[in-house]
Amino acid sequence: MRLTARWPSIASLAPFIPVIAAWWIVTELQIFPRAFLPGPMEVVRSFGSLVYTGILPEYLQDSMVRLAVGAFWGIALGIPLGILVGLSRRAQTALWPLLLFFQTIGDIAWLPILVIWFGYGLITMTTVIVYTVIFPVVLNTVLGVRSIPIVMHRAALSLGASRTRMLWEVVLPGALPNIVTGLRNGLGYGWRALIATEIIVGTSGIGFLMFDARRAGSVVEIMLGMIILGILWYIVDSWILAPIERATGQRWGLVTR
Amino acid sequence: MKNLSIRNLSKTYFDPYAGTNVTAVHDVSLDVQQGEFVSIVGPSGCGKTTILNMIAGFIPYTGGEILLDGRPVNGPGPDRGVVFQSFALFPWKTVLENVAFGPKMRGVHKAQREKIVHEYLSLAKLTEAAERYPVELSGGMQQRVGVVRALANEPDVLLMDEPFASVDAQTRMTLQEELTRIWEEKRPTVIFITHDVAEAVFLANRVVALSKGRVLEEIAVNLPRPRVWDDLNEDNQFKALTGRVLQLVRSA
Repeated sequence: MRLTARWPSIASLAPFIPVIAAWWIVTELQIFPRAFLPGPMEVVRSFGSLVYTGILPEYLQDSMVRLAVGAFWGIALGIPLGILVGLSRRAQTALWPLLLFFQTIGDIAWLPILVIWFGYGLITMTTVIVYTVIFPVVLNTVLGVRSIPIVMHRAALSLGASRTRMLWEVVLPGALPNIVTGLRNGLGYGWRALIATEIIVGTSGIGFLMFDARRAGSVVEIMLGMIILGILWYIVDSWILAPIERATGQRWGLVTR
Repeated sequence: MKNLSIRNLSKTYFDPYAGTNVTAVHDVSLDVQQGEFVSIVGPSGCGKTTILNMIAGFIPYTGGEILLDGRPVNGPGPDRGVVFQSFALFPWKTVLENVAFGPKMRGVHKAQREKIVHEYLSLAKLTEAAERYPVELSGGMQQRVGVVRALANEPDVLLMDEPFASVDAQTRMTLQEELTRIWEEKRPTVIFITHDVAEAVFLANRVVALSKGRVLEEIAVNLPRPRVWDDLNEDNQFKALTGRVLQLVRSA
């Protein structure tokens, strides 16, 4: 207990130790052929050689850039749209049915038509990611805006806040905990959509790496790709999303720890 | 002189469950002079909070008029500061930022703003808590912030809606004494809503007894100031006044 209290990262790494140990034992016992189920050391070796040849860093960068561009536009469009729908009855009446309709058409269901329109490139992939990120962001932002108690609006108005100042001083911070939840969901879905998109239309990236490895029959590279996906999400969550939550909703007592 | 004048104020709304019109406030008239402290006291459902919400401009009125300094009240504005029962502090702002909010919104210069904020923080003994967030404070401390946040904006009228109803009895007495002290120092015009008769009398120059949306009677309170509970608890004049008001609101 004292060890994990001093280094919290140990607490989050510890659960993986038995999983890796079991994996290692199963492969050492040769229950399955090595080509079907490589061991941890082979994956590490494969990681080393792919880093050495520069393929992995390049693909990783491609995937991250796509996610970043897609997430940026998803957030930049999603938050204002969510605030508009959350504040205005008229906007809600006009946009809500559309939002629900297009949300239902899954992200990669757009791929066939996008490939015809934009080909196998960044535009197609970015569109899919923006499409995936935007809905959870919009819907959670609407929820956040609606959850601000009416006395907050009244207090701000009777202290002299204009409608524009209200937006920055009350609506945005009040909705922020829900917006972060929307981001977490949106980025999670976006990440998955990216991998699916790279598998189907990609010429680089982690998804492409895995699908290309299948063509070559390299299970070790497929597993490496899967592990990288998990680690990357963990980094995004604990280095970006969790600190935002700690500094906002949790700090203000709006969200319980 | 900035007087608040309420003329034949009424509020009728349609109750969709009962299917009838309900009159919450009926023909209420009241004049409040600048620097006066008026308590409106009455049981739950007597329409006192509805009156305050109409003065604040949060809800429209259906009859009569509300004039502040001769101009009709139309929607919320910084000329009428409000202290809420639920405090309504901004959780994402520190104590200092909460108190600075009004002056900031009205475009008061930064140096002037800091001067005002520090003056009011020290007035309410909140200087130590300036950098803390509302969630880190007790209920009593939070409402101190609520009061000075409204006062720091220097409104023409301060509207207080059962501000001490949700703190414990001991803290409430402290807050009441502090409010009279602050009032004596700053002399704001105050309309104070409460269901607590002793509180109404303790604080005010004048008590308005309300029942079923109508004014029953206005009673002048000429108790000497500064007022502290240790003196007034045994004071015969105070007892007579609270007895009189209690009888009014209970018999109606």
